[in-house]
Amino acid sequence: MNEKINADLKSLKFILNKNKVYIFPIVVILVSIMLFSQFVIPQADALLAAREEALATSLKIETLKANLDILTNINEETLDSQLKTLSLALPLSKDFFGILNSVYSTVQKTGVDLGNFSFKIGDLAKSENGDNFPVVKLSAPINSGVTAINSFVETISKNVPLAEVYSVKIGNTSSTVSLSFYYRPLSASNYSQDVRISSISQKGLELISQLEKFENASSLLEPLVSVATSSAAQ
Amino acid sequence: MSTDINLLLRTDEESLKQKRRIKILNFTAVASLIGVGLISLGIFILIQIVNPESLKKEQEDMLGRISQFQNRQVKLFVLNNRVENIEKILKIRKDLSKAMNGLLAKIPSNFSIDTFEIDDKMVIIAGQSNSLFTIGEFINNLTDMVRNKEIIKSLMLNSLVMDEGKNTYQISVKSEM
Repeated sequence: MNEKINADLKSLKFILNKNKVYIFPIVVILVSIMLFSQFVIPQADALLAAREEALATSLKIETLKANLDILTNINEETLDSQLKTLSLALPLSKDFFGILNSVYSTVQKTGVDLGNFSFKIGDLAKSENGDNFPVVKLSAPINSGVTAINSFVETISKNVPLAEVYSVKIGNTSSTVSLSFYYRPLSASNYSQDVRISSISQKGLELISQLEKFENASSLLEPLVSVATSSAAQ
Repeated sequence: MSTDINLLLRTDEESLKQKRRIKILNFTAVASLIGVGLISLGIFILIQIVNPESLKKEQEDMLGRISQFQNRQVKLFVLNNRVENIEKILKIRKDLSKAMNGLLAKIPSNFSIDTFEIDDKMVIIAGQSNSLFTIGEFINNLTDMVRNKEIIKSLMLNSLVMDEGKNTYQISVKSEM
């Protein structure tokens, strides 16, 4: 047995001695391959990741620069005025003052005889949805003829807050006009500082101009208009 | 003595081949080591050039500058949100006054309206006149509207009676919008 082991060791030593000139370069090549897989490949991954990150950050910076440009050039007074008009037309929450203002200003203009009415509020925590917009429903009893009621329907459709007349029932003794007043809470889920902002479009400006001409809009906007003109005069 | 056997020459050939192999192997080893080093250095330099950290700092500076206009940004967001939603409402909002105007224009002057019910699905008109001709004119006008697909798409006669006491004809019609 010992003689067999000695023979094996001797033959190993013989092979090593014969090929010792090859050992060092092969080891170096193997080490190079190991270094390449352990360091160079991860470094290359890191470079690709850094490039992607840099590209994404560059795009964000471009967006932020464009946003800053818009925000610095915007007139805040005009912005406030436009926002007030739009908020009157479509309030962020149930605007009972606005609704009553709309109803009574229409009554005054059309001369109809308005009876006692009530809001169909229901569960205050919930909202009724009309065509996917939350609404406040109202049934207004009116003691007037067909022509006057038609005028009422026409006029209130051009008031703020925006309303939809969904039913008219005119009878000999009594008539009822059923309305839905729209409102829309704000969803902040789309708000982000990184998103490109846009100044108001031409269509938006035309819409605001249209809303400002609505029957009761000017009376509701008056205090803001007088402040804006007095500050402009200064 | 044979001159065919030349052991020395064969040994020299093998020795030359071995030396060549060793040379190639050594060259490969050195080249691979240097190659790995150069590639690694190159990638390191490229990472420094790309430098996402400096861009992140620039982004933070921009965010800092924009934060001074936070109010305006929020107002603009709300404003654009309102414009978008109001445009949707004006598109989907039903305009009963238009339908009412159209229908009332077709009612003859001698015709007295007793009830008028309208919503987005149907309209019911009940009225009376002391002239059957006026009643006929009323029905014809509404029939024309159905034919021309104007406001209403059907016409159903609910009732037509004569009130002898008042000497009037009373009619009730129902139409789909």
